[in-house]
Amino acid sequence: MKKPSLAIAGLTACSGCQLTLFNCEDELREILERFEVAYFPMGQSDPDPKRHYDVALVEGAVSTPGDLSALFHFRNASRLLIAFGTCALHGGIAAQKNRSTPRPALLREVYGDRAPQLESFPPAPFKNFVSVDAAITGCPPEKGDLLRLLGAVLAGTLPAFPSYPVCLECRSRENLCLLLERNQLCLGPVIQGGCNARCPATGIPCEGCRGPVEEANVAQELELLLTRGFSREEIERRMSRFTVEWDYGQRS
Amino acid sequence: MEISAYLANDNLPQFLDTLRAFGTLHGPTLSESGVSLFAPLTSLDRLDLGYRRTQIPPKKYLFPFRDTFLEYRDGRYRFPSGDSKRTVLFGVHACDLEALAYLDQVFLSEPEDPRYAERRANLLLVGISCTPDDYCFCSEPAGSARCDLFLTEQQTGYLVQAESSAGASMLKAAAKLLVSAPPAPPRTPAPCVIPAQDPERAYSRDPLWDEFARSCVGCGACSACCPTCYCFDVRESTGLTGGGSRLREWDNCLFQSHGAVAGGNFRPGRVDRLRYRFLHKYCGFSPLQGRSSCVGCGRCKEVCPVDIDLRELIGKTAPEPGGGR
Repeated sequence: MKKPSLAIAGLTACSGCQLTLFNCEDELREILERFEVAYFPMGQSDPDPKRHYDVALVEGAVSTPGDLSALFHFRNASRLLIAFGTCALHGGIAAQKNRSTPRPALLREVYGDRAPQLESFPPAPFKNFVSVDAAITGCPPEKGDLLRLLGAVLAGTLPAFPSYPVCLECRSRENLCLLLERNQLCLGPVIQGGCNARCPATGIPCEGCRGPVEEANVAQELELLLTRGFSREEIERRMSRFTVEWDYGQRS
Repeated sequence: MEISAYLANDNLPQFLDTLRAFGTLHGPTLSESGVSLFAPLTSLDRLDLGYRRTQIPPKKYLFPFRDTFLEYRDGRYRFPSGDSKRTVLFGVHACDLEALAYLDQVFLSEPEDPRYAERRANLLLVGISCTPDDYCFCSEPAGSARCDLFLTEQQTGYLVQAESSAGASMLKAAAKLLVSAPPAPPRTPAPCVIPAQDPERAYSRDPLWDEFARSCVGCGACSACCPTCYCFDVRESTGLTGGGSRLREWDNCLFQSHGAVAGGNFRPGRVDRLRYRFLHKYCGFSPLQGRSSCVGCGRCKEVCPVDIDLRELIGKTAPEPGGGR
């Protein structure tokens, strides 16, 4: 049987999701035996885009005309397009100021006089432009999720990831509830789990890097944090870090 | 079988060491971050006898959060063993013992759950009396027979009562640490003050339902920490080399995915999920219909970030007319 071909690429992002592949040291050999890595700029000397991929794992937000044409290329060339990581799914870090600061002001801040020549628009997730076949969330994604996806693709299916909030795994690990017991700005109740509550387990409140959980009660989380003494500004700033498009009135 | 004896406080450490002969000794401890949890008593200094309630109840010993129960490869499958070791769980309160008795009914009724059964057969339970706090809503039971051994705190020691042959063996092994005592009065295993509710109540028009649905953040803590919640999800993952495994993991009626099926959802709204929770917890499902599985431990009340307490729906004097949704 022909090996399925794999593209691993990125748009506007830090490349951290792509590098998740290299974190799978123990499984790397198996992956290379079972997949043809057809396009992987982070791991190839002379990456050469192909006309067809079985699976494209694409990270990053869409923020330039170049990003958009790359996204269309991967959509058109791939049987399965996977939104790989939080930026691809929710806009991520690059999009955090979308609502608070106009794009030209941000560009001026970073690029100074060169800003007007840059073709850049507010970073957006894939779903604003194309349909995706599956997604792996996380900043960066859990390596286990990547392996589960690759295993599922080999079996001719797609993985079933859990859709519970961070709190479930956090409670099950018998962590201290940082929100209730330490009055910290923890986003656990409204954030997609699957990370085994990594951060709260080490005493760091959930920063929301995996994006919103299905049917998040955003309005109540906001109310809860306001009651606990955090300012609306601080809450929104924290919530926007990885996902800017929250509907603060959403209850279900 | 009823054998009782008196254990002086001074002899407790030696008594606990005697119990180690019956399995790895676990008991209530306090984690570094200050969470109360059942854990191995590697040293007796870890024992936290005055604990109120652990965050996660003893169900974790029988029905762990995540459990791989089937593995397959090359067209064959096998059920891996649960790898349970003989364990003595010391210091369990009457409410948690009652909860385990309930889980026994769920998992050990025919057809019995082999993984639960394997672990249950390896678990010995030593109960202990407790002092209820503001979160507890039990009937302050004087003891429990749902264990192998029960310790009732006295002025300067404990009245120890064997409730099974294993408990009697424990007493025998510790005989030189004990003095004779009159048998304790018979126990009434009814730790929760909430009796089974009429299922009509789960569908009442009470405006509290909407209030709860509005404020529930859906974190799932009430169910994760409930000693009798046992819903689980089953997921399968395929490895890179062709084999795969199937695991079960605690599920939660507060999650949207709990009622999701191909083509729709049995409980599309949060209010439907809360009603369902009430129905299961306080009214019971067949074959345990008509049985409340609340044991009054108070965990759901303590861990809820928004102070939802489904019992408020019961506090109302006159039952609401049913059918409204």
